[in-house]
Amino acid sequence: MVDHINIFLKAVFSENMIFAYFLGMCSYLAVSKTVKTAVGLGAAVIFVLGVTVPVNWLLENYVLKEGALTWIDPSYADMDLSFLSFIMFIAVIASIVQLVEMLVEKFAPALYGALGIFLPLIAVNCSILGGALFMQERQYSTIGEATNFGISSGIGWFLAIVAIAAIREKIKYSHIPAPMRGLGITFVTTGLMGIAFMSFSGLNYAEAEKESCGDEPGTTSETGAVEVESESDETTMVYDINSEEN
Amino acid sequence: MKSIEKLMRKMEPQHDSKWAKFHPVWDGFYTFLFTPGETTKRGSHIRDGIDLKRTMFMVVTALIPCLLFGMYNTGHWHMVPTGEAGAYMDHFGDKLIYGIIQVMPIVIVSYAVGLGVEFIFCIKNKHAIQEGFLVSGMLIPLIIPADTPLWMVAFATVFAVVLGKEVFGGTGMNIVNIALTARAFLFFGYPTMMSGDKVWMSGLSETPKDQLADGFSGATQLGELASFVGPKADWALPSAEAFAAKWPIMDSFWGFIPGSVGETSVAAILIGAALLLYTGIASWRIMLSFVAGGFVVGLLANLGFDNPYYQMEAVNHLVIGGFAFGAVFMITDPVTAAQTNTGKIIYGFLGGGLSICVRVYNGAYPEGVMMAILFMNVMAPMIDHYVVGANIKRRNKRLKPKAA
Repeated sequence: MVDHINIFLKAVFSENMIFAYFLGMCSYLAVSKTVKTAVGLGAAVIFVLGVTVPVNWLLENYVLKEGALTWIDPSYADMDLSFLSFIMFIAVIASIVQLVEMLVEKFAPALYGALGIFLPLIAVNCSILGGALFMQERQYSTIGEATNFGISSGIGWFLAIVAIAAIREKIKYSHIPAPMRGLGITFVTTGLMGIAFMSFSGLNYAEAEKESCGDEPGTTSETGAVEVESESDETTMVYDINSEEN
Repeated sequence: MKSIEKLMRKMEPQHDSKWAKFHPVWDGFYTFLFTPGETTKRGSHIRDGIDLKRTMFMVVTALIPCLLFGMYNTGHWHMVPTGEAGAYMDHFGDKLIYGIIQVMPIVIVSYAVGLGVEFIFCIKNKHAIQEGFLVSGMLIPLIIPADTPLWMVAFATVFAVVLGKEVFGGTGMNIVNIALTARAFLFFGYPTMMSGDKVWMSGLSETPKDQLADGFSGATQLGELASFVGPKADWALPSAEAFAAKWPIMDSFWGFIPGSVGETSVAAILIGAALLLYTGIASWRIMLSFVAGGFVVGLLANLGFDNPYYQMEAVNHLVIGGFAFGAVFMITDPVTAAQTNTGKIIYGFLGGGLSICVRVYNGAYPEGVMMAILFMNVMAPMIDHYVVGANIKRRNKRLKPKAA
């Protein structure tokens, strides 16, 4: 239970897809003009992440991972298909996005029109593939944890896009200097929001401090509810993923 | 007064002179000193004695007790490490003078740099000077440690005023609190100068180790408390009882504790709170719900784990660290807070709860109040949006039976 709460809090706040990793920025910037469309896209992302991450978890654990195929025959124990994970994950994501698109078109045509090209583009939204790859990298042990992680990451993304949409609606009539209007001010706002979200991710810094000074109180307790384990190498890993994808 | 007005009038840049573009600066100073003489010529306008300048000045006045107390407190804690301090009121003059010498430059730099940026922008954008910085310039020195180097103060002020406010269109348009942006900038940019146990007592980092009094620690209360989150060997104090004995709750209330310049004394903050509430500048809804939120989460934490930190009395949470200062001067900032009445209550409550959450559960951020308020600033428009949406829905419902 505590594990699940940790995964939830981490994915929503301290490792927010937008403000900690800056994944999925394109649709975040483009569809955040009004709260209504932002809510629609956010919900779609929650759904897609909530479905693709557990499906990909199954794929990872029963097909791709080294020794995952032993359920067919024990002789496959040294079979390692993980070089296929990118293409398999993308294929899963693309087909599920197609499904979402059909559903949205059928049941919410207005939203379908408002989201426009960004709905099919969820398929190449970095945060979706990012979710699958984080799942692979962090080695969630059960499908429940993976589902939790997917949905929580989606909620974090939802929160981010709805918050910025509300801010953009609020600053619509501000006297923003002409060169900053539109995308420019959105970037600045996102940066400031990132600073605000950093209030949840302090533990990284505390560990660095402990190493440099040697007298900072340790933060490795069982009881700290928001435990951030991501070390600096994990962060660089994220950037690698990002650059490969673009 | 007459001669000053004459002098000001004489200095007014005329439209054709080469100083014409400095008219906003002149206008700013003139209206700062005198009520504008122009009257409305036509149409009906509501006139109120309190305009933006007067509002801002009221907040600055409300901050004066905190500033004065903060200066004295800085002097006191400067003497504590070497054991010269004695009782709190001993060496009154020395402590006060040291505090003034240490804190006044920060105030001056913050104002000079901030107003300088403001002047440049208003000359460039050709609008009258906006007075928003009067308050931010006072808040910035009060929420940072007294030892912060002046260039850092200047740097953070420029960052906060330009990126926090001017790019959004100036006073009243910003989405995050300017002073908090400056503090967050310093906090993440220069963490060693803004946290840890060397910075909270002025001059401590330069004091040689052998001159320190026995068993002395420079950490704030929250710094010591945060160590409870870690393994037992790292605890700064053996237990919650030892903490309560070292820092009696009344000391925290009067402010005889180390910390940022202005945030220590709840008593001084309450004077400011009374003024702000009496003049109606700060919203009592936000203030009250912020304190309530903090208190409730403090109580909830008591239920939780068997750890001295969580077992601390909820009331104690309200008087240590920056909680009181945040409740009175930060979260109530009318520009960045939620605008609807229901929204204000939600906003304040979540802000207060989150402050204590960050403080208690996130061991790296013992002084989490400021970060929690910044987070709520960002969320405020969303809260408003949904409160307004709910209002519309409710009224529509009321309308429908009539229409049918």
